[in-house]
Amino acid sequence: MLLKTETYNQQSNFVKYCRDGKEVAILGTNPERLPHYRRLVFNIIKDTLETTFPISFEYIKTEIWDEMVFNYFSNHKCNDPQVWRMPEEFVDFCKTENYAAKFNLPFLNDLLYFEWLEVELYMMEDVTYPQVNNTTDWLKEKIAVNPEHKIIKLEYPIHLEKPFEAANKKGDYFLLLFREKETGKVQFVNLSVLFTFLIENIVLAEKTLEEIFNDILYIFGINDLEMLRSEVFKFLKDLKTRGFVLGVHC
Amino acid sequence: MSNKAGIGFRKDFAEEFLSGSVLKPGFLELAPENWMKIGGYWKKQLNRLAEMYPITAHGLSLSIGSPDELDMDFLKNVKYFLEEYNIEIYSEHLSFSKCDNAHLYDLLPIPFREDAVKHVSQRIKQVQDFLGRQITIENVSYYTPVAAEMDEATFITNVVKEAGCKFLLDVNNVFVNAFNHNYDAKTFIANLPLDQVEYIHMAGHTKVSPNLIIDTHGEAIIDPVYELFEWTLERVNQVPVLLERDFNIPEMEEMQSELNNLESIMTKKWETKNVIENRNI
Repeated sequence: MLLKTETYNQQSNFVKYCRDGKEVAILGTNPERLPHYRRLVFNIIKDTLETTFPISFEYIKTEIWDEMVFNYFSNHKCNDPQVWRMPEEFVDFCKTENYAAKFNLPFLNDLLYFEWLEVELYMMEDVTYPQVNNTTDWLKEKIAVNPEHKIIKLEYPIHLEKPFEAANKKGDYFLLLFREKETGKVQFVNLSVLFTFLIENIVLAEKTLEEIFNDILYIFGINDLEMLRSEVFKFLKDLKTRGFVLGVHC
Repeated sequence: MSNKAGIGFRKDFAEEFLSGSVLKPGFLELAPENWMKIGGYWKKQLNRLAEMYPITAHGLSLSIGSPDELDMDFLKNVKYFLEEYNIEIYSEHLSFSKCDNAHLYDLLPIPFREDAVKHVSQRIKQVQDFLGRQITIENVSYYTPVAAEMDEATFITNVVKEAGCKFLLDVNNVFVNAFNHNYDAKTFIANLPLDQVEYIHMAGHTKVSPNLIIDTHGEAIIDPVYELFEWTLERVNQVPVLLERDFNIPEMEEMQSELNNLESIMTKKWETKNVIENRNI
């Protein structure tokens, strides 16, 4: 490297100061003006996180939120050159630091993750849609779905209730998030365990709907095939209206 | 695109650009970091904008002055983006925003030193080799020097010469730095590599204390910056000029009025310059 160690040290100390605010000797700097850099850099991090996590920011006490953001800024080395992707690192940081327990916010990990996923899905690169037929006879076919989606599991129903109300309802919650093709908006659908199994198998596109029905009957111990078919078709038709189910694979 | 006044694209007023009802910029500038590797709604909007306007790219995260290794994956994405949208001008800041593997997402001042000149120039060359094109490097505003051993104009000039890159002259940054560091803006500009200027930036700023201006891009351009702009245009070739406005966004009519002011100065100065040059011939 053509850069001398001494020059590197000045740059490194400058960055350390910006991140943690601890006094450090940096050659030839104006000590009255250094804090402006720290303020400017911190504001970028703070504003980006507040924009990405509006629900968390609204419901978490300001002093706790500020402490989380301040610790993140000081102790975490942001890795992504695209600032809009940086909040994903905040989600991981809070999890690693166990802030959910430390600040008695049991829903925290789920809420941050959910809010980040919404942004990620909204912004993610376009995925090629499958070729589909628009037949209504789905039973013997493999159902085709919107490829721009995620299926996630949460411990708290933060997608259904306000965070502190969700905190008392620990359980297993499954959720389908997908991006509408036309508008680009992200929709989410609360899923039962059975419908999660159904959607996961549809996404794999290895089995016809009838084959998935047979698996469901066996795994979930269901005897009433007609009722199952009726409920599933109702559910899938709703998802077709909402733009998740596209038709059947060609 | 030269001789045109453009504006920095912001999502806040994307619809205005698409409708073209009030704002009529000659081109748009955007930060590739905010637009590459995306899809969905904003990708569609970007595609529509790219059909309506020429685009320039002004990077934020290359961190050309960083002691860290260049991020080649990032550069690969930038290259793809530039090619995808047929972007001719890719500019970056003569600053650093990453050190010790930490991105800070802001423009930090490089020590004005000989070893930094060599280091930065080598990195610019590496980027240019990879992209297969010259890049354009911008003078940044800074609020304190860091371990400086030479003056800023010498630092910029040596980097541009040694790297063989183009130069983006930010007139407002010169004004801000001249005020903050007590030097004469015109003398400073006269010492820059004006023959390499490919692009000019203009913006407003905010005075936060009696002896400090911050380059906020949050106010209208003030008269002394326009005056410096006029003086500068007499000394450079015809190039595109960009209006930067990132915060405190005014009515669109006001923004268009600033664009009109810039274009009118460009026309006046460069037409006069052409007439004088032609007469000399």
